[in-house]
Amino acid sequence: MNPAIDLIQSLLLVAIAPLVSGVIARLKAQMQNRRGASVLRPYADLLKLFRKHDMAPDTASWLFRFAPAALFAVTVTAAAFVPVLHASALFGVGGDFILLVYLLAFGRFFLMLGAMDGGSSFGGLGASREALVSALAEAPLLLALTSVAILTHSISVAGIVLFTLQQHPFQLSAVFVFALGALVLVAIAETGRIPVDNPSSHLELTMIHEAMVLEYSGASLALIEWASSIKLTLILALLIGVFAPWGMAAGASLVALALAPLFFALKLAALTIAIAVLESSIAKLRMYQVPDFLGMASALAILAVAFTALMR
Amino acid sequence: MGLIEIAAAKALASSAVFLFFTLLVMAAAKRISTCIVMFSVQSAIMAAEILAVAYANKSAEAYTIAALVIVVKVLAIPYLLFRIVRNLKASQDVASSTTGAQSVFIMVGLILLSFFAVAPYARTLRVDEDMLAASIALLLAGAFLMVSRKKALMQVIGLLILENGILLAALTTIFGMPLVIEIGIFFDLLMGVFLMGLFVFRIRDTFEHLDVSKLRRLRG
Amino acid sequence: MTLVLLLLVPFLAALLVLTCKESRRAVLVAMSAGAIEGAAIVNAVWRILAAGALQCGQYLRADGLTAFFLLNVGVILALVLTYSIGYLRHIPAGRFSSPRWFYSLTFLFVFTIMAVFLSANLGMLWICVESTTLASALLVGFYNTKGAVEAGWKYLVVCTVGIAFALFGTIALYLAAVRSGVNPASALDWTVLMNAAPSFGVTRDLVKLSFVFVAVGYGTKIGFVPMHSWLPDAHAEAPTPISALLSAVLLNCAMYALLRFDTITSHAIGGEFSHTLLLIFGGLSVTVAALLMVVQRDLKRLLAYSSIEHMGIVAIGIGVGGPLGLFGALLHTFNHSIAKSLMFFTSGNVRESFGTLRMRRIHGMARSMPWTSAGLVVGSLAIVGMPPFGLFISEFMILTAAFGASRYLIAILLLVSLSVVFGALLHHFQRMLAGKRTDVPAKLKLLPSDFAVMGVCTALLLLFGVHIPGMFAFLLQRALVVLQ
Repeated sequence: MNPAIDLIQSLLLVAIAPLVSGVIARLKAQMQNRRGASVLRPYADLLKLFRKHDMAPDTASWLFRFAPAALFAVTVTAAAFVPVLHASALFGVGGDFILLVYLLAFGRFFLMLGAMDGGSSFGGLGASREALVSALAEAPLLLALTSVAILTHSISVAGIVLFTLQQHPFQLSAVFVFALGALVLVAIAETGRIPVDNPSSHLELTMIHEAMVLEYSGASLALIEWASSIKLTLILALLIGVFAPWGMAAGASLVALALAPLFFALKLAALTIAIAVLESSIAKLRMYQVPDFLGMASALAILAVAFTALMR
Repeated sequence: MGLIEIAAAKALASSAVFLFFTLLVMAAAKRISTCIVMFSVQSAIMAAEILAVAYANKSAEAYTIAALVIVVKVLAIPYLLFRIVRNLKASQDVASSTTGAQSVFIMVGLILLSFFAVAPYARTLRVDEDMLAASIALLLAGAFLMVSRKKALMQVIGLLILENGILLAALTTIFGMPLVIEIGIFFDLLMGVFLMGLFVFRIRDTFEHLDVSKLRRLRG
Repeated sequence: MTLVLLLLVPFLAALLVLTCKESRRAVLVAMSAGAIEGAAIVNAVWRILAAGALQCGQYLRADGLTAFFLLNVGVILALVLTYSIGYLRHIPAGRFSSPRWFYSLTFLFVFTIMAVFLSANLGMLWICVESTTLASALLVGFYNTKGAVEAGWKYLVVCTVGIAFALFGTIALYLAAVRSGVNPASALDWTVLMNAAPSFGVTRDLVKLSFVFVAVGYGTKIGFVPMHSWLPDAHAEAPTPISALLSAVLLNCAMYALLRFDTITSHAIGGEFSHTLLLIFGGLSVTVAALLMVVQRDLKRLLAYSSIEHMGIVAIGIGVGGPLGLFGALLHTFNHSIAKSLMFFTSGNVRESFGTLRMRRIHGMARSMPWTSAGLVVGSLAIVGMPPFGLFISEFMILTAAFGASRYLIAILLLVSLSVVFGALLHHFQRMLAGKRTDVPAKLKLLPSDFAVMGVCTALLLLFGVHIPGMFAFLLQRALVVLQ
């Protein structure tokens, strides 16, 4: 419950987010038999972008400038809800797992508005696709988190993490299995990875997120890129915290706290390898197949909720 | 050692969950070989259950049945099916009449339905409710796959899952039937799959496609 | 030993026939095997009547009911084998459609049927019924045409699914028995279950559940509506002697299995539940089959629907119950098998002469094929239930029992369906028999074997319509004793 540690863990999330993107990009490059850029490349990109001139289209309104700032602010706030090093978060309150979902939705909402405000057709295209994906991803995300919350009898993310932390790894219930399945599928959709969205594509047929940020430059673009990396990292941290939190410090013992970053780094590394492998091995789904994909996530989430009642 | 035992015990106790997972994967699968692998995994899970019972009761009969399940259902039948798939040289596409998400939703509905169907019986019979529900879910899922998939081979796989469900029900309630009967049932199953494979080839040769929904010459 | 012999002869014959390269030698081996099997059956029936019941080991048993059905199989087998001598002239040569494959598969089929009748154990019964499906699937798809392959596939898949449900029912009954205190090692044995049945009252629901699944499962094999979809296809596309075997013997075989379960269920929880279910299935089958018979265009499909209808009548007989109803039902299985075989044999001749089984295209049978037409007329009169043929007696018994038990709805339904069937057959056959032949008749010379077969069928039908021989009635009585 130490606020200092909570602050440190939130800042940690924000700081290492570009590193996570860099590692994934590097791993993908290696799998494709290229050498790939350095893992610290995203930091260099961010620095470069902050120094560049920030242009806006003539027809854009204040929304265009406001959106990246709103997105970044909301995402950083969301990062303060996720336990990383120990089972509590800076802004953790009761019911914060719902707040977390809608904070992310809030940021996405402004991004879509900003994209449409930019006036280009790509912005509208990206915004409409993003609306479809996020609308369909919201239900399984909420349901899966709710099922886990019911199972662990707690209403905050920190509470869920604490409950799971105190359980033996092999005592996990069926609810976790199905909730994990649903959340993995949703995480792919929310963070915009293959097979839902290709983060490195600029083809009209295949881009969702990239289409929305096409008009941005300079500091705005830097904020958007950073925000998207923070979102990826925080969703990964959420998955780790809810489903595999062992290694986190339960109390305030110094030894545990010193070891916690190590365990977190290990788990994060495992997840990044998994993402890199997944992205390199399967093809992106066509747009009309994405609702199907998210439908499966919804079905799994419904099963998870039903199982909280059936398999106590 | 204690950790392995705990892990094994927990894995066995939650084998119903693994069975449900294989059903969901099968519902979402787009290739026939995925379904064959899932069937093999299901049979392996059942064999593990039988082995656990055999180990607990030190029963030679149970060991034999477990060996039978492994040989026939985990190895022989999937091998047969894979050979048929390879020799058919047809596309591996599971011609389904429902999309992936619809199939998964229907499967979820069937799983929940089986829980409701089993609730009154599980209490009176005093058996593991999860495993009984899993067996009914396998039965319903097999029937659903047979009805919704249009490839002949998928109907065979649906049938196999149905029989898996029935045998699992037998296992959960009465720990299997007398050995000779079990051997006979497995032999029948093997012969049945063999014959169905033969017929699949005949269908391919006479009709030049494997879509059973188009086998509608005899009607009325 | 007698029982083992019954199983050994067809099995060895199946293997032996395969080794005969020449078709004449194959026919010879088949006929002698058939004769030996016939003798073995008569011997077995005699022994059973003398001793009451024969048991061989843990899994083979034959009592009065078995004896009755064994006699049925023996008669039909003799008829089918005799007819096949003439029929085999017409088998198109192919890699697997030679006479030796035909006889080999047929004897394998007969082996599995015998195994069903001789099973002492419900699990064994299930295994054997499933193996009859497997053994006959290749026979249904014998000709490898599009229709045959489709029929064979449908038969295999639908019947295997149905029989899987019957397995579920068997397991449920086993569970009920074990929970009521029967020793698990012998809780599938029929005699043990019959003795322990009155104590199953505790597990009432389980017994009911088991009977429902068994009725659906074995009912699929019998051809009850709505599980009948495989039957018209399979019986129509199979070679004619095999159609006769399927309609006459296999349906009775599945009915036998259902009867075994019905007796246990009645002893356990009283007869109302099982008999009501049988009445529902029987009534449905009779009605739907009668209605569908009106719109049929293919002769063998018409006969297949007639089989469904008659199996419905047998189910009604069992469902109505009482000694008269059961006697009528069992007698009906026998009479129906004779009449249906006769009909299928004549249809085989029709097919060879006209080249088609489409009834619209067949005219002028009476003038060009007098003997076959006579057979057809006799068969159709018998099937419809006209006196002086045997089916009239059995149907009359069932109707009397129905009215006696105050099952008026079922009785009226049965009467109406019989009238509809009469009208349908009259309509179809009148068009076929009357008129002049418009096409060029194929050269069809009837062998003495064909005459013999049709003659024997007619004689038997007349015999059973006029007076049931004493020995036969005694056999039936013994069968009834088992059931009560």
